[in-house]
Amino acid sequence: MAQEEVNKAIAGEYNLGFEIDIEQDTVPPGLNEDVIKFISAKKDEPEWMLELRLKAYHKWLEMEEPTWGKVEYEPIDYQSISYFSAPKKAPESLDEVDPKILEAYEKLGIPLEEQKQLQGIAVDAVVDSVSVKTTYTEELKKHGIIFCSISEAIRDYPELIKKYMYSVVPMTDNFFAALNSAVFTDGTFVYIPKGVRCPMELSTYFRINAMNTGQFERTLIVADEGSYVSYNEGCSAPMRDDNQLHAAVVELIAMKDAEIKYSTIQNWYPGDEEGKGGIYNFVTKRGICEGENSKISWTQVETGSSITWKYPSCILKGDNSVGEFYSVAVTTLAQQADTGTKMIHLGKNTSSTIISKGISAMKGQNTYRGLVKIGANADGARNYSECDSLLIGSECGAHTFPYLESKDNIGQVEHEATTTKISDEQLFYLRQRGINEEDAVSMIVHGFCKEVFSQLPMEYAVEARALLELTLEGSVG
Amino acid sequence: MSKVLEIKELKAKIGDKNILKGLNLALEEGKVHAIMGPNGAGKSTLSKAIVGHYNVEVTDGEIIYNGKNIVEEEPEERALDGIFLSFQNPVEVPGVNNAYFLRTAVNARRKHLGLPELNAAEFLREMKALVSELGMKPELINRSLNEGFSGGEKKRNEILQMMMLEPNVVILDEIDSGLDIDALRAVSEGINKMKDGKRSFLVITHYSRILDYIKPDYIHVLKDGQIVHTGGPELVEQLEEEGYSSFEEK
Amino acid sequence: MKLDILNALDSDSLLKELKSSSSKSVAASALAKLKVPNKKTEKYRYFDIEPLVTKDWQVADIAEAEPRSEGKKIVIQDGALVNSGDIEGLSVELAEFSDIDSEHFDGLYFLSHLMAKKAIVIRCSKDSSFEIEHIFSKEESLINYRVVILVDANTHVQAYESFSGDAKESFVLSGYDIFVSRDASLKFIKSHTLKQTQYTPIFTSRYKVDSNANLKLSSFDFSFANGLNIIRVELKESANIDASHLLYVSNSAKYGIVSEIVHEGKSSTSSQKAKSILDSGARGIFDALIRVQHSAKWTKAHQNSKAILLESGAYMASKPQLEIYIDDLEASHGSTTGQLDEQQLFYLRSRGIKESDARKMLILAFAHEIVATVDDEYLANKIYAEFERAYYGNYELDCIKTCDGCEELVLKDEQ
Repeated sequence: MAQEEVNKAIAGEYNLGFEIDIEQDTVPPGLNEDVIKFISAKKDEPEWMLELRLKAYHKWLEMEEPTWGKVEYEPIDYQSISYFSAPKKAPESLDEVDPKILEAYEKLGIPLEEQKQLQGIAVDAVVDSVSVKTTYTEELKKHGIIFCSISEAIRDYPELIKKYMYSVVPMTDNFFAALNSAVFTDGTFVYIPKGVRCPMELSTYFRINAMNTGQFERTLIVADEGSYVSYNEGCSAPMRDDNQLHAAVVELIAMKDAEIKYSTIQNWYPGDEEGKGGIYNFVTKRGICEGENSKISWTQVETGSSITWKYPSCILKGDNSVGEFYSVAVTTLAQQADTGTKMIHLGKNTSSTIISKGISAMKGQNTYRGLVKIGANADGARNYSECDSLLIGSECGAHTFPYLESKDNIGQVEHEATTTKISDEQLFYLRQRGINEEDAVSMIVHGFCKEVFSQLPMEYAVEARALLELTLEGSVG
Repeated sequence: MSKVLEIKELKAKIGDKNILKGLNLALEEGKVHAIMGPNGAGKSTLSKAIVGHYNVEVTDGEIIYNGKNIVEEEPEERALDGIFLSFQNPVEVPGVNNAYFLRTAVNARRKHLGLPELNAAEFLREMKALVSELGMKPELINRSLNEGFSGGEKKRNEILQMMMLEPNVVILDEIDSGLDIDALRAVSEGINKMKDGKRSFLVITHYSRILDYIKPDYIHVLKDGQIVHTGGPELVEQLEEEGYSSFEEK
Repeated sequence: MKLDILNALDSDSLLKELKSSSSKSVAASALAKLKVPNKKTEKYRYFDIEPLVTKDWQVADIAEAEPRSEGKKIVIQDGALVNSGDIEGLSVELAEFSDIDSEHFDGLYFLSHLMAKKAIVIRCSKDSSFEIEHIFSKEESLINYRVVILVDANTHVQAYESFSGDAKESFVLSGYDIFVSRDASLKFIKSHTLKQTQYTPIFTSRYKVDSNANLKLSSFDFSFANGLNIIRVELKESANIDASHLLYVSNSAKYGIVSEIVHEGKSSTSSQKAKSILDSGARGIFDALIRVQHSAKWTKAHQNSKAILLESGAYMASKPQLEIYIDDLEASHGSTTGQLDEQQLFYLRSRGIKESDARKMLILAFAHEIVATVDDEYLANKIYAEFERAYYGNYELDCIKTCDGCEELVLKDEQ
């Protein structure tokens, strides 16, 4: 890492904080039925979708914003947010994509055209609210795989959408899910047919670009019997002074013998060291292992956002189904994260693993919050959780709040947690061998996160490591 | 010679893996049988199958003991009838006092045999005598069962239990593993003392070292879930020189 | 009186309504803020609080007659001090008490203080060992009282709490305010067998452990009815707490521990261990938070919960929590819920011990670790016998004599 960049990081300058100048098609701030109708019309949606949106909107109006998270922030004025922002011109091929967008991806380290394609990744890139371009769709089509934006899916596959959307995260599940259900603008839909192993990693990069626009994407992945898919989501947003709201919903459905691997790298703008600016990330992610022997695995590397409120969960309904949650959450500057998972064991011999690594530095506050519930009929269910926290500096905080509820006498729930700082002894040992302090710390931190990074697809693991390094530079010492 | 324990065409698996594949073996009264075989041949599975371990599923065949098939019997029924296994890795049971545990077991066995139960004093007298004979530290009597015991202490504790329970069939699963020379001597002396012409022994081992101390009458070679060869003590030398590969067929 | 109606009142009206002295305004404003708990209150999440706060209670009058002063036992009957004991180094009196823990998280802690006109204040100025017996006899009442124990600096005390009486259908709302002064130590042992038809107890307490002081808390709750122990502990510099809890819950009861240990001073240490044994339909609760404040560097904090579900339908809610605001520390927690160890069970059975006996043996061994934290041998044996009685009594099994002379102890106890 060049000293210049280190300095930037110390100064709180976000190196992904540049802005792309594209003509926007934006509605004025505020939320009412007209805005929802505008969004629906812009997306060329069928009437039934608009009705669902309006229903969600009315439910949302009756709901209260949750306050139980261990995060503190200024109240959000939902009427000051603009709920739609799209590039005016819808590109038809990659050539038509605004070079500035492509350039932005380059700066983000996402060379859409070359590197990812060379590595066989199909990318559904979302800039603000509209899916700009989906590559590899044709290739995937050969296998019967549907990989498109959720807007397209609503138009082209209404039966699948009607069947599965809201089936895992009901529109009234929580305040933010309800808001998303009313105003979601884009996102991704994936359907893997029976017995198909998706031949490539699927990937979507989200990017919040326009000023004062919330981003509300919605992702739905259905893996039919015996299928497999690995899906990667990366996020970044430019620097802003005002907080931007992000409230996404992700639903996963795994049928009998199916497996879904969902990886996230989130490096949205974290705000400055006073907690100014930065993304509010209130996300609802949940998967259901519907059929026997199915598996859902969540891996997340959360380094960005000023507020993170996120609990990727698994409902283990099918017998012998497996849920996994691997997480690295880093809070530095004045970031606050309240994140974890829920593992709901309903089927027999279901098993779940939770590995959570929290790193707090500077004034960061990092909370693991997780629920493990073993239902009375989940005979032989097994859970193992390990939640470790690493503190760097004396101003930060690390909190562990597991809820462990077991109702089955032949099930087993095990939870372990530790909170430590980097030991002086380890640090000294490495330095005595000639490694400078920053490198030594970084080495130890990587070791601490290793278990989680090893769950990421190769090229993302490299990215995650680089990101972690960048995030923590300057917070050591 | 009368057969004490007879295993016929025994098939058993652990999880989905078939381990014993039609094993035949007969133990004679008063004799020492040694089972030798490479790692993974099924030696431990055989011992577990005989005592009814929960991990081993017998899918076919019989284990005849005292004239009846015991495959379906509970582990404690087999134990009360006189089958004793010295475990390869005895589990630690924190909070259960060693003496208290053994007295419960001894009295259960005595009751089963129609003998009067031992009171605490009688029992302790006997236990203390054996503890010193085996060269165990006296404080192990009042410690938690196997908790924090060294490898040698655990094995001696197994032999102590064997001596107190006076079983008819003794299975020794890798009794020498992890023992230093003194412990090995103490343990094998204890075992040899238990030879009375009626009691039968099944010594399961990977190495021949233990057989210098406990002289076997028969050697059985176990490979891939079957007994592939049976012979006299002279087999030990042959095995040491040629290894197991020379015993490919029955 | 219905407790939940108090939620409509502000702090001044609370003082008036509960006829409390203005010296307790701290409690009134805290209660106005925290409210009388209901089923949505996080700390009561797993407990059935609703029936207790919605019922129209007859509040038991506390008699203020002159207590006896004989024997080594302090006796409190239905909240009234009936025997202050004759114990050297101890003074026991009724007094107005206002040094309330303003940071307490529990609304009922403050309510209990507001309702209690006077507290029973026990001051320990010399090393001593004594027993406090709580007797509950008033039926269908709300019995509320407070006890304060002050352990003077450099004084070493053991207190043992026992319980008797039925008080059917009553709600016992009580608890302690305990101050362990500098360089002092307190061993506080509570043993409570709560039968099916008895009162519902909520003991809501605070412990303040001053610098270099040491608190050892051992609680044994064998319960066939609902109840809750709420504990808040503050640790000053180099203070230490060792807390051990053994819980046996049966008969579809809900019983548990809700605790918060706050490390305020540097180099303070805490260790908390809970073991729960749960029968069919029973619910065990272990909701325990350790908070390490910014001021508390070089802290060591460890917490562990182990639960065994004996039958299907038993339910363990375990919520071990760490809240940490400083990096220079050592903290960990662990929690397991499951059944008896299969390997251990097999080992015992392979030696001829029948399965039901082997199970019993392992259960007793499980409990033993917590009982062994009581170093007073007589008390440890007595508590172990109480556990066996609760556990076997329920199963109608014979005692398998884990200690010589346990019958003797039981007989002595019953006389």
